[in-house]
Amino acid sequence: MSREDFIVGLEIGTSKVCAVVAEGRMDGTIKIYGVGQAPSRGVRKGEIVDFETAGKCVREALADAEEKSDVMIGSVYLAVSGGHIEGFNNRGSINIPEEREEICEEDFDEVQAAAREVSIPAPNQFLHSILQHYYVDGQDGVLNPIGMIGRVLEADFHIIHGVGNRIKNSIRCVKELDIEVEDVVFGPLASAQVVLDHNQKSLGALVIDMGAGTTGFVLYGDGGIKHSGCLAIGGDHITNDISLGLRIPMARAEKLKLEEGCVTLGRALPGERIVLKDETGFAGKEIEREMLNTIIHCRVRETFNLVKKHLDNSGAQLDFLGAGVQLTGGCSMLRGLDELAQDVFGLPVHVTCVKGTMSGPTSAFENPQYSCAIGLVKYAQAMTAGVRRPGLMRRFFKRLPFLNNLL
Amino acid sequence: MIELPRSHSPGSTPELSFKIIGLGGAGSNALDRIQLDGLDGAELIAINTDLQGLAGSVAPVKLQIGRTTTRGLGAGGDPEIGYAAAEEASEEVKGAVQGASMVFLCVGLGGGTGSGAAPLIANFARQQNAIVVAIATMPFSFEGRRRMAQAEEALASLTQQADVVICFENDRLGDAVSPRASVQEAFAAADQTISQSVRAISSILLRRGLIHIGFDELAAALRAQNPRCLFGFGEADGDNRAHTALERALRNPLMDRGRLLADAHNVLMHVAGGPSMTLNEVTLLMESFNRHISDSTRLFFSTAVDPQLDCRMTVTVLSSIGAAVPSQAFAPLQRVERVSPPAFLAPEQEFIPAQVTDRVPVSIPVAAAVTAPEVMALIEPAGVSAAPTRQAKPNGKPKPTREEKQEQMSFEPVNRGRFEKSEPTIVDGQDLDVPAFMRMNVKVK
Repeated sequence: MSREDFIVGLEIGTSKVCAVVAEGRMDGTIKIYGVGQAPSRGVRKGEIVDFETAGKCVREALADAEEKSDVMIGSVYLAVSGGHIEGFNNRGSINIPEEREEICEEDFDEVQAAAREVSIPAPNQFLHSILQHYYVDGQDGVLNPIGMIGRVLEADFHIIHGVGNRIKNSIRCVKELDIEVEDVVFGPLASAQVVLDHNQKSLGALVIDMGAGTTGFVLYGDGGIKHSGCLAIGGDHITNDISLGLRIPMARAEKLKLEEGCVTLGRALPGERIVLKDETGFAGKEIEREMLNTIIHCRVRETFNLVKKHLDNSGAQLDFLGAGVQLTGGCSMLRGLDELAQDVFGLPVHVTCVKGTMSGPTSAFENPQYSCAIGLVKYAQAMTAGVRRPGLMRRFFKRLPFLNNLL
Repeated sequence: MIELPRSHSPGSTPELSFKIIGLGGAGSNALDRIQLDGLDGAELIAINTDLQGLAGSVAPVKLQIGRTTTRGLGAGGDPEIGYAAAEEASEEVKGAVQGASMVFLCVGLGGGTGSGAAPLIANFARQQNAIVVAIATMPFSFEGRRRMAQAEEALASLTQQADVVICFENDRLGDAVSPRASVQEAFAAADQTISQSVRAISSILLRRGLIHIGFDELAAALRAQNPRCLFGFGEADGDNRAHTALERALRNPLMDRGRLLADAHNVLMHVAGGPSMTLNEVTLLMESFNRHISDSTRLFFSTAVDPQLDCRMTVTVLSSIGAAVPSQAFAPLQRVERVSPPAFLAPEQEFIPAQVTDRVPVSIPVAAAVTAPEVMALIEPAGVSAAPTRQAKPNGKPKPTREEKQEQMSFEPVNRGRFEKSEPTIVDGQDLDVPAFMRMNVKVK
């Protein structure tokens, strides 16, 4: 098998760097060969703050992945995240030339270019522009206008953009290791590729990817992306809150969150206490369970409320989501998170991890932590499959010309 | 400090009034902005052909030109009509500007009234022995080539008539605002830049500085063929005020983050601060500023102490790019006696032109807000004793009184834990790095 058939998804997260080596098969399935990971340092809120250290962690994770999969990694698909990334919808419109009436493929590029003629803040660059649907002479909901007759072709695009230099820094971090970056993908968008199946995308679903540093969200409806965004709040914030609120060290707070933490209030018995054993450098402490849960609850509720507010402000209709809310990312493993999300969004909520047809070491993808990295592979597969067979997927994720400047 | 009395040049009146004229639609808008921002000691005059536009202006003095030419309508984008209108009202305009030692003429070029009447009005003002500083905006490029051509033509003749022309490009000003800003905000931003520049120039020229800049130097800094003005204004307080003020000045889109300064031949820089401004701060500021300009650039530097500024510092950078013209080619003043305005603009105790004091930075960085009490405490004695008895401007930053100190203390340094040094995540004015339960006032045992 040639090396090109391997797809490597790399996520430089706030808590861990994770690389997934997989093979995309012609039938659309994915076989995972190995997952390498390393604890992440030098990343805060999804963005690199210590370039050198982050580079070392990436190297470690890639080396681990190479060892486990026995594959030489030459290029990766990279996930980016961070509070600077934003999404919005825009419509492009072109007139079909007089001499021909039929809409042909070149018009797609033109209409996409028209949709991107929108001003984003100067330091920002386009990350994705994803087709939602076409309009031909005002006729709504056209999925494939090729061959149709029309005067005016319009298309709605969802555009995701972020600060160019920050994205470039993530890319450089990988390129320093002499590894090519095939494409840059917004993390939660990658997660959504494996968390949702085709049916759920059409029914409509909100994917919330809660990582350690960021909480990203992607709203699907009618098979396309309706809204997306990213908040620079994540599991780290919960740990920080616990550490400050209960006055215990960060490391102890993290452990406490994982072992005992629960988002739902009223679960603990009145006066129930958790005894923290003494360790080196920590004298030991007794804390009230309800207090711990309250601290976590406040933070998570606020985060969900912010996501909801963001979506409400952008005019999203949350009531019509057939497939409800799908929570993923490392932070989604918090106990009681689904209950709280249900309360905030008023929709059925599931904590999900990778779905669909996959094979390989199963333990790797039965954990919401890996949704993003595996999602990258799925994304890459959809894109490269399109090269051979131009289809709807291909046009959905058309590679943007700007990436050539970035890479 | 003992001030040396300076003798006025004979014949010149010690009266130092300056008038600001807003000409045409764009000019009136800018004038409204200046009026709203408040500028002491200036008389504001709106001049327009369009009676309706004139009625909407908040300027105290309004002058309709072209009563017979346009009969209260606009000039219809035709500079010829604008010119005729101004010609018709020559006596009225002359009367309006009479007695002013300096006239700022704010005009948007490209249309009828502005393009046509501006050179003529500049000429009238000069006939009344006033220094004319024209502040012109060039149209957006989407307004069409014809308008741009009209604007270029008007600019050329305005350059001949006015003593100094400061030209802003709307295209560049448009970049200043965020893409989400409404059209109104975008235009307001342009007006604000004009307003800032009027205040800055008037204070540079009219305030006696420690290192003073005269009109000749201002003219030299802005002297260029086909001039495009670079203007930046920044104000800051707190620990790092010198650096922050400079950074804010350079952040102005007309500066392109200071990159355009490298091309400038002459740069004028004005630093003003309260009595607490130290030499060290000025030195540091100039050192970091010098990195932005090339070695061959002529720098006109001025500094002034203004008690009204309290603990704040302001930085004004003014320059122009375009083909520089040799000095001898610059002969804007036929009246030789007017070439030395510094003497003419001798210090006048009664008159303290408004410095750009009444704008409190909207978003004070958290760090600055937190450290403000200490800074204030340090400099308070000087600040209060040196503060003049003039009443504070209505929306101005109040003097650091005891009450305010207490108020500021409420910004008690909150613990952000591990996010202490990271970029703050601020949504709806809340710092989300501060634990949620603390912001919700949930008691934790």
